[in-house]
Parts: sequence; structure tokens; C-alpha cells
Amino acid sequence: MHYSLADLTGVLVGAILTAGLYAVMSYGLALIYGVMKLVNLSHAGTMMFGAFITLTLNRAFHLDPILGSLVVLPLFFGFGVALYAFVVRRIARSDPIVSLLLLFGLWLVLQNIAYLIWGTQDQSIVTAYTYSTIKIGFLSISVTRLVVFGGGLVALAALAWFMSRTYTGRAIRAVSLNYQASRLAGIDVERISAIAFGLGTGLAAFGGSLLTLLFSFTPDFGGLFQAKAFCVIVLGGLSSFVGVAFGSLILSLAESFGVLYMRASLQNLIAFALLFIALVFMPGGLMGLLQSRRSR
Amino acid sequence: MSRREAIAALALLVALVLVPFVFSGSIYVLDLGVLTFLFVSQAQAWNILGGFAGQVSFGYAAFFGIGAYATGALWLRGWEPLLTLPVGALAAAIFSLLIGLPAFRLTGPYFAIGTLGVGLAMRVVALNTEAITGGASGLTLPTTIPPKLWFYYAMLVLVVACFVISAAVRRSRLGMALTALRLDQAAAESSGVHVALYKNVAHTLGAVLVAVGGGIYAVYFQYIHPDQVFGFEISIGMVLMPIIGGVGTLWGPLLGGTLYYALQDTLLTVFPFAHLLVYGLLLMIIMLIEPRGLVGMLQLLGRGRKRRPAQQTQPAAATP
Repeated sequence: MHYSLADLTGVLVGAILTAGLYAVMSYGLALIYGVMKLVNLSHAGTMMFGAFITLTLNRAFHLDPILGSLVVLPLFFGFGVALYAFVVRRIARSDPIVSLLLLFGLWLVLQNIAYLIWGTQDQSIVTAYTYSTIKIGFLSISVTRLVVFGGGLVALAALAWFMSRTYTGRAIRAVSLNYQASRLAGIDVERISAIAFGLGTGLAAFGGSLLTLLFSFTPDFGGLFQAKAFCVIVLGGLSSFVGVAFGSLILSLAESFGVLYMRASLQNLIAFALLFIALVFMPGGLMGLLQSRRSR
Repeated sequence: MSRREAIAALALLVALVLVPFVFSGSIYVLDLGVLTFLFVSQAQAWNILGGFAGQVSFGYAAFFGIGAYATGALWLRGWEPLLTLPVGALAAAIFSLLIGLPAFRLTGPYFAIGTLGVGLAMRVVALNTEAITGGASGLTLPTTIPPKLWFYYAMLVLVVACFVISAAVRRSRLGMALTALRLDQAAAESSGVHVALYKNVAHTLGAVLVAVGGGIYAVYFQYIHPDQVFGFEISIGMVLMPIIGGVGTLWGPLLGGTLYYALQDTLLTVFPFAHLLVYGLLLMIIMLIEPRGLVGMLQLLGRGRKRRPAQQTQPAAATP
């Protein structure tokens, strides 16, 4: 199979745009894992719920999904904080498999509440710009993908600022580096954990909200993206900010270029296989792999 | 297994053997039996690795699908369905080792996430290997099958096999090793337990039992589809049933599996996955309150009831 340079550039641009989306939906997972060492299996449920709330806002008030995502983010931040205070806090320090199963239970509950409310049929949001494209040189890029990429970038930039410039952000980073030391240094780790869980949940819902611009969805739709988010953070080394961006790019490049040489219906296999391979053979992620090379 | 438990198990078995005669071969009862037994066998099979060894796997649908497709594909090529069951079991055993050998380098939540990837990947693979699986259109199998009564007893035999194997594993060296590595893997390893070996044995044992169930399922329904037999719902069910019932116990998976199907059957009319809403809630409650599941809760209730009269008699005995 031969592809022209223009084709490949198109694929590359597409891959970078997709990477932005992956980064947004994975960062919440990495944040919660970093601070609490919790594997948040309810991430999928939150993403899906974010998408459906956006849909409902769109149906009821003709609210654009981009504005909808800005409503969804604080809403789910609150939900996450409440969830932490009433449920997650009790099991945050017990055996990791207990918290994993509890959050898995939450995923099932969220998913099936959504089935109860919105039914099983495919839903989608069509906006005025859904089918329009922009031509840049020989490339034509769909507006929705640009918008989602832009939204993701803005969110990530805001986060980067928050994490490095505010006390809370720095405290979150401190807790993810060393829980005990942060406690000894006088950080209110309970409060920080609640905020981190809220932020992680809010970001998951925000990601789900943005996804409505690109895909149709059912209450089942988070599972695939959750697996991809896991793949991203495992590739990126589980909790670092740069790692997430790096992992997103790797996954999205692998998917975009892999599909040139295999059947399109096998595309999702790349993420699942990468998830397994990265977990087993690259503890510490790709960054860890590079670092161990360097230190040797 | 205590003598009381053994007697209870035998009594239950005799009752289940007699059920078809009591209900004079009612199709509904037989169907209920076949599917309940299928779920119970899955719950028990998963419990060997997930319960005894404490390694939660989200990938067991892979073995169910392999069993179902081994039977389906060979049956269509002229094999006797019963003879395909060992082939399916062998295929599942080989695959379980292929996955287990690398995956057991991971522990706890990482193992769970890894198996999640494998489980999801298998469905995609099955959808894309049309030559064996029929791809997205599935496999339509021959209609020359034995009566429902045959399936009732076949599945019952499978459940008995799972139960006996579980009981035997618990008493054996393997069972002790699994308990040891569940409680503290590092301690088990340093006292000479070959952790990776025992985990793989438990994984493979469960895989074989699930695959046999998958094979019988394929014959029973005469139609299999990747979304169905490799579906994530199958893996989810296998995690939920034993944990809700009582993970790591002998009776928990039995209870969890029975309730799971009963609930699914009753709530089907509400919406297709309503039982998962209930089971999701139950899972959360169990993780928060009583990690030993329904069996643990029943034990607590039973003990509470026994304690009350005991408290009353003690002072009475002390007074004279």
C-alpha cells in the first residue's frame, strides 16, 4: 500500500487533533490515580453522564455542547466532591481492589440509571457547524474536531496553570508525590483528595461533553473511551501531566497510522493491545522506559 | 467442607435432580434451570482465581467465547458436539496460559485493568475473524439437538463438577497456596510458594470450566455471536456473581449466580440491563459494609440470632 505525502500529513494532523481529545478525557483518571492511587473504574460512567447531561441541555435550552461542557464541568466537580465525602473516603485507604470494585459498581449504577432515563437508542447532537470543514492548504479539517481540540487545549492549559500557580494545585502535586510527607508538612490531605476527586470527575464529564460533538452515544459508550484513557495513562506513566500528553499522542498516532495498514474495524484493538503490553512490559510507562535508558 | 455442608450439598443435588419430574418436564422450569446452572458454574469457576487467590479478572468472557466458538466451528465441520467440549477446554487452557504468563507479572488493580484490555480485545478479534466466528453475522448452528432435559442435566453435571473441584482445591496444597498469596503475596513468595505457578493453575482451571459451559451454551442456543459470547456483560457477570454472593467461599458463587439470573429474568421487562443496576448497587454496598458478600451477611445475621438467647441464658446460669 502506498500513500502520498499529503495523505500522511492529513493523518498526522488528524492524529494530533485526536490526541488533544484523549488527553482531556485521560487527565482526570491520572489525577485521581496520582493523588489517591485509586483506579477509577467509574470514569466511563462519568464521561457518559457528562455527555447525556450535555444532550439534555441541548434539547431543552438549545445550549451548544461547548457551552454545555462549561456547565457540566462544575456540576460534576460538585458530584465528585460529594462522592468522595460520602463514599470514596471510606475505602480510599483499604485494599486497592476494594476501591476498584466499588467504583466499578458505581459505573454499573451510572450506566443503568442512564439506560433508565435515556433508553438504549443511539443519541447524537447536531450543531450548525457539525458538517462544515475548514481548508488549510491541501488539508480539510472538520470544524468539530478543531473545536474539540481547542476546548481540550484550553482546559489543559488552565489545569497546568492551576497545578503550578495555586496553593491547591501545588498541594495536589505534593500529595501525589508523597502522601505521608505532605501530611507532615501540614497539607489537609482529606481536602486535597476531595478536590482532586472532584476535578478528576469534572474533567471526565467535560471530556464526555466534548465527545458529543464527534460521536453518537448510548449509555454504554464510556467503556471504550475508558479503556483508551487507561491506555494513555499507562503509556504516560500513570500520574504525570506531561506523561498524559505524551501517552495521548502515542496512542493516537498508533491508531491513526496503524489503521492505514489494517482493517478499520480492528482500530480499537490497538488501544486494548497497547494497554496490556504497556502494563505488563513497561511499568513506569514510556517515560519510565526512557529515563531508565538514560540513567543506565 | 464440613459434614453439615456436605449433607446440605447432597440434599440440594437430589432436589435439583428431581425438579424436572416434580414439574413434569415444564419447558420454562428446564430453561430456568439450564441458565441458572450456567451462571452458577461461571461464578464458581471465576471464584477459583478471583476468590481463593484474590486476583480479580475482567477478562473471563474470552474463555466463554473460546469454548462456544470451538464447539460451534467444529460442529459445523461435522464433529459430534460433545466431542468438541474437550477441544474448547484445551483451547481455553492454552489461551489462559498465553495471557496468564505475562499478566501475572501484575498484581491487584493492575492485573484487573490488564485483563479488561484482553477481554475487550478478544471481542474485536472475534468480530474480525469471519472464517471461524462468522464475524458480525455470527454462526448459525445445526438444529439437531437433544431435548431440553438433556441440557438440564448436562449443566447440572457441570455445576457439580465446579463445586467438587472448588471444594477439592480449597482442601489441597493449591488452595493453601492461593490463600497464602491472597493474604500476603510477598510473605507467601518468601516462604517458598511459587506464586506465578499457582496463579496460572487457578486461572487455567477456571478458564477450562468456563469454556465447557460456553460449549454447552453454543449447542443449547444454536446461534452464537461475538458480541454475545465475548461480550463485556459476560465478564461483568462473572465478577459480580461470586462477589455479591460471597467471594472466596464455596456457597457464595452458588447464591450469587442463582440470584443473578433470577433477577435478570425478573427485571428483563423493565429494561435489558436492570439487573446490573441492582447488582452495581449491591456491589457498592458490599464493598462498603461486608466484603464477604451475602454469605457473610447471612452469617452475621445467624450469629446475631444465636447470640441473643445465649446472652439471656448466661446470667440465668450464673445466679444459683
